[in-house]
Amino acid sequence: MGKLMKYEFRKTMFSKAVLLVITALVEIFYLFGVFLKWEKGLGIGVLGLVLCASVGIFYIGIESLLIWHRDLNTKQSYMLFLTPRNSFQILGAKVLENGISLFLAGVFFALLAAADWTIGMIYIGGLEEFVDLLQNFAASINVNLEIPVREILVTFFACIASWLLMVVTGYFAILLSASVLAGKKFSGFVSFVLYMILMWVDGMFLDLVPALKDFTIQYVLIILAALLLSAVYYFVSGWIMEKKLSV
Amino acid sequence: MEFNPALPIYLQVMTMIKRDIVTGELKPGEKLPSVRDMAVEFAVNPNTVSRVYRELESEGICYTKRGMGTFVTEEPEVVGRLKAEMAGELMDQFLEGMKRLGIPGEEVIQMVKERTGC
Amino acid sequence: MLECREITKTYGRKTAVDHVSLQIQPGRIYAMLGPNGSGKTTLMKMAVGLVKPTSGGFYYNGRPVGQNSRREIAYMSTEPYFYPWMTVGDVGKYYRDFFEDFSQEKYESLLKRMELTPDLKAKALSSGMMAKLKIAVTMARNARVYLLDEPLNGIDLLARDDIIASVIEAAEQDVSLVISSHLVDELERVADEAIFMKESHLVDVCGVEELRMTQGKSVVDRYREIYGHGGEQKWEN
Repeated sequence: MGKLMKYEFRKTMFSKAVLLVITALVEIFYLFGVFLKWEKGLGIGVLGLVLCASVGIFYIGIESLLIWHRDLNTKQSYMLFLTPRNSFQILGAKVLENGISLFLAGVFFALLAAADWTIGMIYIGGLEEFVDLLQNFAASINVNLEIPVREILVTFFACIASWLLMVVTGYFAILLSASVLAGKKFSGFVSFVLYMILMWVDGMFLDLVPALKDFTIQYVLIILAALLLSAVYYFVSGWIMEKKLSV
Repeated sequence: MEFNPALPIYLQVMTMIKRDIVTGELKPGEKLPSVRDMAVEFAVNPNTVSRVYRELESEGICYTKRGMGTFVTEEPEVVGRLKAEMAGELMDQFLEGMKRLGIPGEEVIQMVKERTGC
Repeated sequence: MLECREITKTYGRKTAVDHVSLQIQPGRIYAMLGPNGSGKTTLMKMAVGLVKPTSGGFYYNGRPVGQNSRREIAYMSTEPYFYPWMTVGDVGKYYRDFFEDFSQEKYESLLKRMELTPDLKAKALSSGMMAKLKIAVTMARNARVYLLDEPLNGIDLLARDDIIASVIEAAEQDVSLVISSHLVDELERVADEAIFMKESHLVDVCGVEELRMTQGKSVVDRYREIYGHGGEQKWEN
């Protein structure tokens, strides 16, 4: 599976490299803005970084679906389906590679934001104010240590679970259009419509979780429901690929 | 290498090897190429070449040393026998053709004499 | 041994392969003959699981083909299928990564014979060079069964000799080769058996030397009998 993942990464390497280069460029704007007190540069930097982070992470998800579409509907499909690997491994490698990429991109942008924020604080606000602020921040954490950590964790896992569900739903929609329509005419459009319908179904399913007073328990239930639904999509997709899909 | 596709390839390959033995292209005791090399050289099926070697062996033209390969026989009379055999075949074809043209035997002899200057 | 039993594939109302049963024995070279659209490609694709049959099935050593049989069955499709970013060298690396029977040494010597270099971009290759690359990477595997779909298509005469030579070299005693072609005469000398496909049916499987011995017929003669003309080689090249 490692080798499958390696090639999945290779397929997306170019756009990830482009994202990195653009991020580096706007980062330079930001740093010049900070060091030279150049407001315009600072503005471009901040706006650019926010855009890079959000659009970049969004695109990494979308690109994985685009590649899957190409891997099913062009001759390129032979590269995957001729290997002595089964459908669950092929699909699993895609889900994992994309998950890891998104996670790493998230961590990267979070660290970058933290670093930029710190630099900004030090150079613009002055050291004294920055230390003050840090102390304030530490104090606020001490007071409410319990709740934010739990909420942050729950939110984090909810993000992962909802991302996973979105991706496997997308894979499933594209797979259905490829195996039923043999992927020829309008397969992209049909996949998209199917995806929208399935996402609506997913929403209905998650709404089955009753509203509870305890925020944490409700979120945990939603996460579990999303994971369960993802697993169903994954196994049904694998089965269709193994038994029905002709590429 | 051109073959007649309507005749068994193994017979055609056998004829080529026999001719090489008669003309001395292949010396007595000389090692023949491996089945694979021979197949690649003639661009024919390896099973066909195996069969060629088997048939040549059963006709006493070749022999196989275990693990060493196939060799042309060293028996001196075999070359003579092959020569006679092949000459006979050519003669048959030639006479058959002449007969079909309606040329009588004596005239054929005369023509051969004139042609060869004997 | 690779075999299919009563295998059928339909696309909508069109039947591509109709109730075909066939056994591929070890140690033999098969020429799969028939005009374009007679079902050769679909049959081969089902043998490696790229296309799933509508009914019936393909079996390798008695078990349905799938992940495990692909370890020992090497398939070469007519169409190019490599990733666009790949060089000739990358294609070899990919095969080495996934197929345990892939020999880098063999790949390099085949590339040399085919006059290809590892730094060439696969996407930029001419169709003839692409055909050579496909055959080189496929034959660099030490597979038990090779399924080659139209390996001689669009290839010049000299390269044909190279390809036929690499096919003959692969023909070991426990290896089977199936080579499809609509160029009948190209495979006449190389094949043990000829498989004739016509309009999605299997019409005949016969030993080619036997055909010459018992009936004094060439494969091309038999082809004419079956299809009513001398194949497409007369005007397709």
